[in-house]
Amino acid sequence: MAQSLVIDSPQAPTRRALSMTQRRRLLKGFAAVFMVIYAILTLFPFYALLVRSFVSTKDAVDLHLWIPKADELSLDAQIGNLSVFYSLDMAKFKADMGIPPDAFLMSRTSLRTIAQKYNIPEDKLKSYFAGYYTFNGWITLLNDSEFWGSLARTILLVCASLIGIIVLSIFTGYGLAGLRRRDQMAIYNLYLLQMVIPSMLIILPQFMVIQRLQGLFPGSEQPGMLRWVLQFVGLIMINIKGTALSTMIMTSAISGIPQDLQDSAQIDGASHWQYIRYILFPLLKVPVVSLIVIMLPLFWNLFLEPYVYLDPNVGTLMPLTYSMQGAYRTNFQMMYASVLASIIPLALVYLVFRRFFIHGVMSGAIKG
Amino acid sequence: MLAIGSISKRERRLILTQYAFLAPQLILFLGLTIIPFFVAIPMLFTDQASFTDAQVNPVGLNNFTAIFRDASIQDEYLPALRRTVVFVAMNFVMIYLFGLSLALLLYEVGFHSSFFTVVYLPLMASGIALGSIAVMLFARGTGTLNLMAQALGVVKEPFDIYTPVGTGILLPLLAGWRWAGFNMAIFLSGLLTIPKETIEASIVDGASYWQRLIRVYFPQMWPSFILASTMCLIGSWSAFDELVAIGALYNNPEAKFLSIVFFTYGFQINRLSLGMTLALETFLPLTLVGIALQWLQRRLQYY
Repeated sequence: MAQSLVIDSPQAPTRRALSMTQRRRLLKGFAAVFMVIYAILTLFPFYALLVRSFVSTKDAVDLHLWIPKADELSLDAQIGNLSVFYSLDMAKFKADMGIPPDAFLMSRTSLRTIAQKYNIPEDKLKSYFAGYYTFNGWITLLNDSEFWGSLARTILLVCASLIGIIVLSIFTGYGLAGLRRRDQMAIYNLYLLQMVIPSMLIILPQFMVIQRLQGLFPGSEQPGMLRWVLQFVGLIMINIKGTALSTMIMTSAISGIPQDLQDSAQIDGASHWQYIRYILFPLLKVPVVSLIVIMLPLFWNLFLEPYVYLDPNVGTLMPLTYSMQGAYRTNFQMMYASVLASIIPLALVYLVFRRFFIHGVMSGAIKG
Repeated sequence: MLAIGSISKRERRLILTQYAFLAPQLILFLGLTIIPFFVAIPMLFTDQASFTDAQVNPVGLNNFTAIFRDASIQDEYLPALRRTVVFVAMNFVMIYLFGLSLALLLYEVGFHSSFFTVVYLPLMASGIALGSIAVMLFARGTGTLNLMAQALGVVKEPFDIYTPVGTGILLPLLAGWRWAGFNMAIFLSGLLTIPKETIEASIVDGASYWQRLIRVYFPQMWPSFILASTMCLIGSWSAFDELVAIGALYNNPEAKFLSIVFFTYGFQINRLSLGMTLALETFLPLTLVGIALQWLQRRLQYY
């Protein structure tokens, strides 16, 4: 036994070392290939969504991996099909073509018949519909005032909620840090409950509480500014009510800051408020970024609460995207354009600030 | 004596200030998360049908026993329960399939921020978008992946998102895709807390990769496992948005999970108190399991 070891030893280390580096290189190469393939697979649904937002309902039964070249508009196209499958705005079409608004166009009427009947030059019709087969989804979406309105409301909601949760979570962390250990843990554990309470368990009772609160304001039943503000404030309250994660992140960050700092600030005559504003807050950049990058997608993508609490005409982007899936069921271009449009703003923010996202998520995950 | 009294007075004021700072969020949290429970309790013993029901009668424990007696409710509840359980189980598989394997990969070959950026990107898509993407990829006649599979001739029967396979396998697969970056971050941070010495020692001792995985990595990653599992458990039991986006509230019976049943009872078909009771009966045990898991996680973290 001992003999064989001695005999083997001159060769074994070199062979082993060589195979180790080789194996290491092989692993790296294999990992690189895997990562590229996985990245492509991850991006594919987004790419497919982009392509499909240009593929008309009629062409959807064929595979398209690139934006298809649409046929030129045929003058035999029936006006009804244009309105069903390409969401042609009939009122606007009539106005642009000089057709009386009260004229009734049968859905089977072809463009050629319309051109003859109302003396519209065929070239005018053709140029009106240029690019319509390919781009009508995006044209319809971007001309939709509801889309822009809900986008603006979503941005407002997200910004207000982010500011609210940052301020309140810092207050919570600061308040908890000064308490006795026992009280601290009791309140901290209450917040931890949030993580294990399924949202579906509380949505019905929560709706009741919010309804009763809103009922305290006379006139909240009528549509109007007051009703909208109340609904919006209710939604923000739900967003900023504190989560297990926000409490964990802020509490652990603030309790890691030396007490001496607060003592010396107090000796210098700083109030609690000044201490938080000028000393604590600048030290909390990392946890604040963590909180923002974790909460931002959650707030942006919120569906259930806005769907339940906001009137549809003053809703946010996700309920609108959902209702568009129903309203434009026959226009696939419009359906997929609206889905992609709901992702793009957030995805752009993410890609621009990706460094903060990665850093914030990783440090947030360590806290959790 | 006087000095001690004044100090304690000052201390008391200080503690009151601390409470004043944490009060706003705590009031919101209690008012919107904990108190609704208690507000709802009396309703569970009535036949209140909707939020505006004027005629409310006490019905005793009928709401609680309905699930055991009423065949029509069982017919709705039990299939929804089955679908939900399958979905939850598959989601569990997915967080480890995607999250854990990607985390291990990055841990071994080094952190690539551009790869992380790509893997985390799907989290920017909402649940509504996820459901719509599922339809876009896997609708029977028009799904992009179906058409691709057909063109390549790899499958005989096209996938269909509107079937049990759709909600039991395809949807969790896409959920795994969406959450991959998040779960990867949780597992990766768990891996990064493992003391390097233990890994080096196992390499010196000649442990194979699998042995290292089972004997060194995993035992030290329990807090991450429990955290990811808790979030998956609670999250996928109340999955809602992605189901709504594939037609759960209208025409797709296969997407009727428990969350959809409770939602429709409360908001659509006037069975409010029954819906609340069923939700409580379903989710209360789950919440208790979640609390136990959290307790376990913190116990393990302190070691």
